[in-house]
Amino acid sequence: MNIMTPVKPPMPARAKSLSVEGLSKSYCNINVLSDLNLRVEPGEVISIVGPSGAGKTTLLRCLSGLMPPTSGGVKVGDEQVREPVAEIGLVFQDYRGSMLPWMRAVENVAFPLQGKGVPKAERLARAHACLADVGLPGVGERYPWQMSGGMQQRVAIARAIAYDAHILLMDEPFGSLDAQTRFDLEDLVLSLRKQLAISIVVVTHDIDEAVYLADRVIVLSGHPATVIDNVDIELGANRDQITTKADPRFAQYRSRILEQIRRPPAA
Amino acid sequence: MRYVFVDIFIDLLRSIWLPACLVLLWLYASSGSTSIYFPPLADIVATLVGEIVHGDLVRHLLLSLSNLAVGMAFAIVFGVACGLVIGRAETWRRIWSPTLNFLRAVPPAAIVPIIIIALGVGAAPKIFVIALGSFWPILLNTIDGVRGTSTALIETARAYRIPSFLFIFRVALPAALPQIMAGIRVALAVGLVLMVISEFFGAEAGIGFYITDASTRFAIQETWAGTLLVGAMGYVLSSLFLQLERRLLFWYFQEDGQAATKRKGRRNKVGGGQ
Ligand SMILES: Nc1ncnc2c1ncn2[C@@H]1O[C@H](COP(=O)(O)OP(=O)(O)OP(=O)(O)O)[C@@H](O)[C@H]1O
Ligand SMILES: [Mg+2]
Repeated sequence: MNIMTPVKPPMPARAKSLSVEGLSKSYCNINVLSDLNLRVEPGEVISIVGPSGAGKTTLLRCLSGLMPPTSGGVKVGDEQVREPVAEIGLVFQDYRGSMLPWMRAVENVAFPLQGKGVPKAERLARAHACLADVGLPGVGERYPWQMSGGMQQRVAIARAIAYDAHILLMDEPFGSLDAQTRFDLEDLVLSLRKQLAISIVVVTHDIDEAVYLADRVIVLSGHPATVIDNVDIELGANRDQITTKADPRFAQYRSRILEQIRRPPAA
Repeated sequence: MRYVFVDIFIDLLRSIWLPACLVLLWLYASSGSTSIYFPPLADIVATLVGEIVHGDLVRHLLLSLSNLAVGMAFAIVFGVACGLVIGRAETWRRIWSPTLNFLRAVPPAAIVPIIIIALGVGAAPKIFVIALGSFWPILLNTIDGVRGTSTALIETARAYRIPSFLFIFRVALPAALPQIMAGIRVALAVGLVLMVISEFFGAEAGIGFYITDASTRFAIQETWAGTLLVGAMGYVLSSLFLQLERRLLFWYFQEDGQAATKRKGRRNKVGGGQ
């Protein structure tokens, strides 16, 4: 993916870390997450993996401020997250459900900016630029239901970027796309993080994807779930689908994580 | 856009052939009728045309339609506004729900006499009756539609900190629009009935007055002509409304194959009862 016109030059000054301190969450007395501690540095990409039902979605919802934790807290910079904050952009797995079908793609991207009070001409220009940045130049006039799943997910990413989020939270964003589209979108994510110096937290079922995208992979497991492993991925900044995935270190990371996930939670 | 009118015309032809056949059948079956209550259709139509050209029928009809338009406008504004508020606030809904269910069970036509007595003659009581009767289906459908806004959309709006006024007008309202339009369609039928009935009492003009006046004078052909005109009017209005609905809800009907099941899923809170 070629980025021709970066939306914003990297601006480390405004970047803030995302930190989780002693976070626990229970649903009606069932402990799902227990005493999690985690810190995402500005510009860092981390993947969260874990068995189904471990509480990954729960964690992401707490991080985004959509759901309050039972105890402990989430901070962006020095500020406690209680409600969704302006620094965080969210990309949902359900791209169909998260687009407004009565708005064109460009209006969907521009809509959060309207909430911020950005004037119409400016927000539409920004939305068009961001659509071009995610590889969708010239399709802004289409409605979401006139687009493929991969295109809709690109629109969702464009929306987060136009919103000026510098922390991107994604819950299994590419889970329902075919392999080739998923690879394209993974590469899009990598190029965006390079261009924009944003931090990204991505929850995924796909361990290859987790390793390929991340600087660090967090493995969540157990009942209640805790961080059982924290794997630094040292594959460099320039990655590509073929050589990176053929790297012997890639295979090592992969099997180490797979082992953790498949180990019975009692251990 | 160029073909819109052609489309409408073709749609009209497609929906009109069966009624047209029935009318022809009526025309044929009644042609030799000697009953004073069921005169030949040709005579009725001749009277209708005569009344439209030489008489006051158009003035009566326009007066009634303006009552209908104003009454419906009130019903839509208040129905949608109250529906948006009640639909969004769970406690409000719980408080109001039993009352609403009782009130909607009162047949609107039954309250016509009391309102005419209370408010007297003139356009105001008629508009009030139409507005009141049309209000319920719109209100209940709006509440239902707003409550049905998908959680995915609500969460997206929350995550991107959409302020509430924007949320209401650009998210909740469009999301409820299919239900709201279904409610207005029912309200239109109710309103048309009330438009006529409200002119049976204490009126000196209007299509309802025309019909009762003709019947008390035992002018059977005029009575039939007025009735026929109301029927045709109702048909035209609901056809036009369907067109408007399809255009306004293009995203709802065009969303790939799901539209068919969704259309089935969209139901009315209130049946077409009067
Ligand atoms: N709203 C809720 N009320 C009660 N329990 C819930 C709720 N949401 C999730 N849970 C429970 O919390 C646990 C974690 O759910 P969560 O959705 O976070 O898992 P996950 O790791 O995202 O799983 P998956 O990989 O399948 O998406 C599950 O056992 C689930 O049953
Ligand atoms: Mg999940």
